[in-house]
Amino acid sequence: MAPTFKVTSIAKKRKAFSLRALQENLTGYAFVAPAVIIILIFGLFPIVYSLYMSLFNWRIRKGDFTGLINYTKIFGDWGGFAIFMGGLGLLGLAYWLWTRASKSNSNPMRALQIGAAVVLIVAGTIMSMGWGKMVAAGDEDFLNSLIITIFYAVGTVPLQLAIGMVFAYLLYQKIRGKEAFRMIYFLPYVTPVVTTAVVFRTIFSSRETSLANIILSWFNAGPLKWLFEPRAMSEVFLGLKLEGIAAGPSLALGTIILFGIWSFFGYNTVIFLAGLGGIPKELYEAAEIDGANGWNAFKNVTIPLLSPVSFYLFLVSFIGTFKAFNHLYVMATPNAQNTVVTASVQIFDVFYAQNNFGYAASQSIVLFLIILGLTVAQNKILGERVFYG
Amino acid sequence: MRNKFFAIIAVLLVATFVMAACVPAATTTPEPVATEEVQPPAAEPTKAEAPAATEVPAPADEWADVDPSGQQILFWHQHTKDREAALLEIVDEFNTTNEWGITVTAEYQGSYGDIFTKMLPILNTPDVPDLVVAYQNQAATYQLTEGLLDLNSLVNSPKWGISEEDQMDFFPGFWAQDVFPNFDNARLALPPNRSMEVMYYNSDWLKELGYDAPPATPEEFKEMACKASTTPFSKATVEGSIGYELSVDASRFASWTFAFGGDVYDYEGNAFTYNSDAGVAAMTFLKDLFDSGCARQVTEAYGDQTDFGNGSLLFTVGSSSGLPFYAQAASEGANFAWSVAAIPHTTTEPVMNVYGASVSVPRTTPERELAAFLFLKYYTSADVQAKWAKVSQYFPVRASVADKMADYFASDPAYKTAFDMLAYSHFEPPVPGYDFVRDEIEATMAAIVDGGDVVSLLDAVNIKANEILADQLAQIK
Repeated sequence: MAPTFKVTSIAKKRKAFSLRALQENLTGYAFVAPAVIIILIFGLFPIVYSLYMSLFNWRIRKGDFTGLINYTKIFGDWGGFAIFMGGLGLLGLAYWLWTRASKSNSNPMRALQIGAAVVLIVAGTIMSMGWGKMVAAGDEDFLNSLIITIFYAVGTVPLQLAIGMVFAYLLYQKIRGKEAFRMIYFLPYVTPVVTTAVVFRTIFSSRETSLANIILSWFNAGPLKWLFEPRAMSEVFLGLKLEGIAAGPSLALGTIILFGIWSFFGYNTVIFLAGLGGIPKELYEAAEIDGANGWNAFKNVTIPLLSPVSFYLFLVSFIGTFKAFNHLYVMATPNAQNTVVTASVQIFDVFYAQNNFGYAASQSIVLFLIILGLTVAQNKILGERVFYG
Repeated sequence: MRNKFFAIIAVLLVATFVMAACVPAATTTPEPVATEEVQPPAAEPTKAEAPAATEVPAPADEWADVDPSGQQILFWHQHTKDREAALLEIVDEFNTTNEWGITVTAEYQGSYGDIFTKMLPILNTPDVPDLVVAYQNQAATYQLTEGLLDLNSLVNSPKWGISEEDQMDFFPGFWAQDVFPNFDNARLALPPNRSMEVMYYNSDWLKELGYDAPPATPEEFKEMACKASTTPFSKATVEGSIGYELSVDASRFASWTFAFGGDVYDYEGNAFTYNSDAGVAAMTFLKDLFDSGCARQVTEAYGDQTDFGNGSLLFTVGSSSGLPFYAQAASEGANFAWSVAAIPHTTTEPVMNVYGASVSVPRTTPERELAAFLFLKYYTSADVQAKWAKVSQYFPVRASVADKMADYFASDPAYKTAFDMLAYSHFEPPVPGYDFVRDEIEATMAAIVDGGDVVSLLDAVNIKANEILADQLAQIK
């Protein structure tokens, strides 16, 4: 009988414990409940509902269930999609090989590095093949808009971060009126984006008398069409006649990139300034004693210790550029053709102009997954390089 | 844990491909265009033709027992400044004088486009307004969900409707414009006003150039425009001059195509015809103007209005609803004499592009729908129309209103000139998806004036426009 008594006793204890634990946790659950509910309703529900919509022929009203047909319409050819994803997988493999090789200088590792480079080339070729098949059979407009989005992100984020960091570093020095400068730099970020985009549109109009063209004339340069120029910058400035992705962004998109940088570098400056405030002064003093000049201190102290902030800003900015809409919509001109139509603008057009809600939802889900994938990849690749002190 | 994760991913991937295989493959065959024909819009609205829309009277008055008393009506509109003030005055008068105690609240909800985007997600929900301004193509899009009330039964209701005499008073072309053959001849709106695409010209400058009258043909237009580009206006307040400024816009495309004797839509074949001979001729003509340095593109919002006002632009084509703004720009700018005329044409008579948003009644409750209609009936009554036309500078939609506007015609000769051209009106197609088609046309026009090949670009955009049309019409159940 003794064992039975023991078991009953333990069960009672466990029950009492779990009840007590539940009572204790209940307060915690009550505190987090409002946040969880808000996130569920306004954060997760729209995503799940978009996913649901994307599985239907949902025009202005809900139509038949069509499964993945909207996704098939995007990618056109699942074989092409599979090839592309295979290339992406090889890209990951190349990265893994490269990082392993980088950890050692021995000869086998050198061979590994060469192997990584080969895999990289193969991955690029396979991705290109897969992409070509998708563009040929799928939704060319949407797939091209993804490329334009990447052009926009790559053109905007690194420059706005670099400028933000440099300005923050300058403002961190002992200079007069730095509060005023801080405010001036932050102004573009707090000014309504539609207003500033309209002003930019006027400054960068194709007229010979536009402000941008007047400034060019001071340097004896001819007028440019700016936001009205669909040709790639490589052609406008370098005379290169490249086709497709290799040609790079159009001058119209380049002008919008300029706006993106101008609009957001002030925000980055302020965040970097906060980060700079967290770097112990002793480190600079120690560097100075060791004979480091200003550049060396910036390179070896400031940049590494700002890396958590840089990492955060990089992630947020990158996601932001993928979701950017307002200024792109305002600054787009018919003359730029489809060279400034990013994914978010394309989705908007499909939703409202074509009133194809289900298909727009499927495009949104694809964009969401791309952002998620890129964020995870950035987290993996850049996160390992962040120095937390 | 890691293995479990990969197993889940693998299962999901397999499920994805299985689902992809289960659904029917995406078809590349264009969906068939609905076979029901869109009727061509009636031309020559001032001729006393019997309106086609209301020939079949309702068999019984289904509205006879509906009571609109005490209803609160919400009206979404796009009017601002003087027009909004005048509309609010009309609304106030209705609210204080109507015998049923109906209260209308007029709310500005942004531009036509803003209202369209706000309406789409709320159609057939309790959030819809009771009255909403809508272009014909927008109303057609709303009706894809049967979101609007067919006003035929109300218009012809013996108890509440518009009398036959009053119906005949509407310009027939305007009256017929809100009847949609694609939707079993449903009347989806009533027209409170219309505008027209006209050519604005600087008459003082024309005299300086040695011309007594505005151009009537494209050849004359080119000659004058090119001369102006090299001979600036003496009163101009800025340097430089240009003959014509084109804003790339689907209505401009339609206006020039009409002027060259064609149309952008084949109402018998139910298809867009942007690559018609007239369309090609019109765009080739405009491209030639650009190539000759006699025209340039409008690059800023209302930039042509500004240039016209400061005396550096001889001709521009735009909506007659811009009359007050051009008048202001000219008087505050180079201060010169100006007027409007028909767009230079190759046809024997001008063909003018007339358009305008009507007011639709989204589906709500019978009581609210009736109350909304009663306001609409009031809004389109002759006396209110006269008041509305004078303030808004839109054209009234009823012939009898002209008699009440003699003083106004005398004070604004440009308005009278445009009003007289209503006899030559023609319309853009009232089909769903036209907003999307317009975007495509704008991009095509931009490519043409940037040096693209007219024929191949118009061929390509025509295919795209018809694909959009087919896609939209396929939604009609």
